[in-house]
Amino acid sequence: MPAIEVQRQVLPILDNPNQGARFYNPDLPASEPFVPGHRTCAGCGPSIQYRMTSKASGDNTILVGPTGCMYVANSSYLCTPYNVPWAHTQIGSSGSFTAGVAAAYEAMIRKGKWKGAFPNIICEAGDGSSSDIGLASISGALYRNHDCLIICYDNEQYANTGIQASSRTPYGGMTTFSPPGPKIPEAKKLFPKDLARMMAAGHPHCYVATASVGYPIDLMNKVRKGLNHNGAAFLMVYTPCQKGFVYETPRSIDLGRLVVECGLYPVWEWNPEKHEYDYSFRPQNMRPVSEYLKLQGRFGHLHAEHIATLQQFANRQWEMMGVKLPEALIKAADARNQVNMAAAAEAEAVAHTL
Amino acid sequence: MATATETKKKTVRINGCVAAAQAAKYADVDVITAYPIRPYTATMMALAQMVANGELDAEYIVADSEHSQLSIAHGASSSGARVFTGSSGVGVQFAYELYSPISGSRMPVQMMIADRTLDPPGDFGSEHTDALSTRDMGWLMGWSCDAQEAFDNHLMAFRIGEDPRVLLPQMVCQDGFFVSHITTDVELPDPGQVKEFLPPYKHPYPLDPRHPVSHGPQIMPEQGPPLQLERARAMEGSMPVIEEIHDQFARIFGRRYDAWLEEYKTDDAEIVFFLQGGHAVTARFAINHMREQGVKVGMVRLRTIRPYPSDRVCETLSRYKVVGVIETNMGLGSVSSGGSLYAEVCGALYESNKRPLVMSFMAGMGGEAIVLKEFYWMAQKMTDAQKRGKIEKRTHWVGFEE
Repeated sequence: MPAIEVQRQVLPILDNPNQGARFYNPDLPASEPFVPGHRTCAGCGPSIQYRMTSKASGDNTILVGPTGCMYVANSSYLCTPYNVPWAHTQIGSSGSFTAGVAAAYEAMIRKGKWKGAFPNIICEAGDGSSSDIGLASISGALYRNHDCLIICYDNEQYANTGIQASSRTPYGGMTTFSPPGPKIPEAKKLFPKDLARMMAAGHPHCYVATASVGYPIDLMNKVRKGLNHNGAAFLMVYTPCQKGFVYETPRSIDLGRLVVECGLYPVWEWNPEKHEYDYSFRPQNMRPVSEYLKLQGRFGHLHAEHIATLQQFANRQWEMMGVKLPEALIKAADARNQVNMAAAAEAEAVAHTL
Repeated sequence: MATATETKKKTVRINGCVAAAQAAKYADVDVITAYPIRPYTATMMALAQMVANGELDAEYIVADSEHSQLSIAHGASSSGARVFTGSSGVGVQFAYELYSPISGSRMPVQMMIADRTLDPPGDFGSEHTDALSTRDMGWLMGWSCDAQEAFDNHLMAFRIGEDPRVLLPQMVCQDGFFVSHITTDVELPDPGQVKEFLPPYKHPYPLDPRHPVSHGPQIMPEQGPPLQLERARAMEGSMPVIEEIHDQFARIFGRRYDAWLEEYKTDDAEIVFFLQGGHAVTARFAINHMREQGVKVGMVRLRTIRPYPSDRVCETLSRYKVVGVIETNMGLGSVSSGGSLYAEVCGALYESNKRPLVMSFMAGMGGEAIVLKEFYWMAQKMTDAQKRGKIEKRTHWVGFEE
């Protein structure tokens, strides 16, 4: 029997990608593949991301959920929030299970066993799954170029297990596996794994991008670009975790903007056709890292030198993006111009919420 | 129809690995996922060539590990594709996490295993410990003793595992090298026979955007028992289906296997070897020679260990005076301090009111051939026990004792 040609979906790109229209865009689809009623925390960054992502993808979608918050807190037996097919897989199987789904549809459509356009296949993996235990499986799926999108919802820790450090936990981030103490005052000593860049550098035929829940239209467009790309795509999305970051619940989207404005989470795209990075995304403001740090209890223990270290890290990110550093940020990278978190009035406000 | 069938049948000389690959081809699998480890690799090499030649239309995925292999298989099977994978030795262990999720989600993934000793000591030879260590994970499991049986078992396993009354994954095992790399004549069927025997795979609840379902959500502890019970019932409920499908296989292909046990020269036997897999071939020769000397010896070969045919094992082995379990697996610190098959045999025999003496032989370890004189030695130990009316000790390490 002759092979049947596989038809792929093409999703439209929304206008006004990164600025303005923060919560409303008339072109957004009405469908809600991810419905309310799940058990995630109030203000949960990953679930905000989940809603936007699945909305951008639409109803001809299959979701894969490796173990993590978006599995455990979402999918209660007999009451799951998915209006499209969804399957749990093991935390280390993010890329591989997804590859299996994609391969099955390639074969079934080609052999006439399933009729219809190739579904959007999306894996929602946490940063623990993506940067640690499932890294090889995702690399395998990207390398083999299965037609799927693997999203790392990056809340910078293993949150579902009770806030433990992952390879994405930032320098200075307090977790239950990286607590501060007299011997280790900064808590997490290591800098985060540059996961998205690893994926772009190692799999240059893939669409790779970073995004943040602070910029919903940009995020949704990147989901669609990843899905439209004929092959594998990887998207790393900043998704704050109220429980682990310890901040005031309504500020999830604010943090999603501040982290970009402070240069701690560069938003970029890797263009697989041109084989180059696109660093043109610019936030409306640039701010010192302390403005982002002081809103979160997980950084409440930091000393002046630690804050300066984080500013130096942010400054390197800005320079990598081709941004000329303003004088204020250069000064902020000097510990003499910083104060200990505990001494900052704002930190006290956070301390009250602990 | 009978004439047409005859014409497309052919006999080829292939090894166990290639026989398994041929079965996957005849089953028209949709997704194959491979990762190299000796000795099962030859199966995947054969399939890669079939795909390259255009003889088989399947997605052939070279995974990044056995863990990924089984996860790919899980994802593809969940989507409605017929899936074939495999491994050997430590590779089987590397994928261990996936065995329970795959059987728990009732995905009939098929896995070919050509046994290999676990590390240490970095040995290529066949020992059954690799697959046996996963025996309680909810997979149908059994051993073939030659290439023809391997081909047949693979086809039957697809049919049994995908049966809507069963829906369980299958490990179709064969000894590394003794079966996987020894060529024998294998009769390949007419594709029409396979079409009649094996309908297309159709899972009732695949991941299909037109009929959204959620696979594997979190449960509360009180929801656990009924779900576990269902899986246990699926395993138990597969037993009549397994027998039915062996009958169907015999009707369509003309080769009849007992689903559970092969008995060789047991009619008047007083002592029997009890074993799995390829060493049965040598055992038959040894029995023939010993029979010429007047020893009333036979063999009972276990063909399916999961589900375990307790009643059949009990009823059959109760007919003899002494049962010598040939382990070919490590059960360190287990009931017999030798292999794990002993406990399976004794567990089944506990209900019998005519229990034979049971002894366990650690033979063929590390993939060494069990030679004729070792079978004679084991038979002597069994005869001694029969005369004495009791066993000397539970476990004998063959080759290390007088």
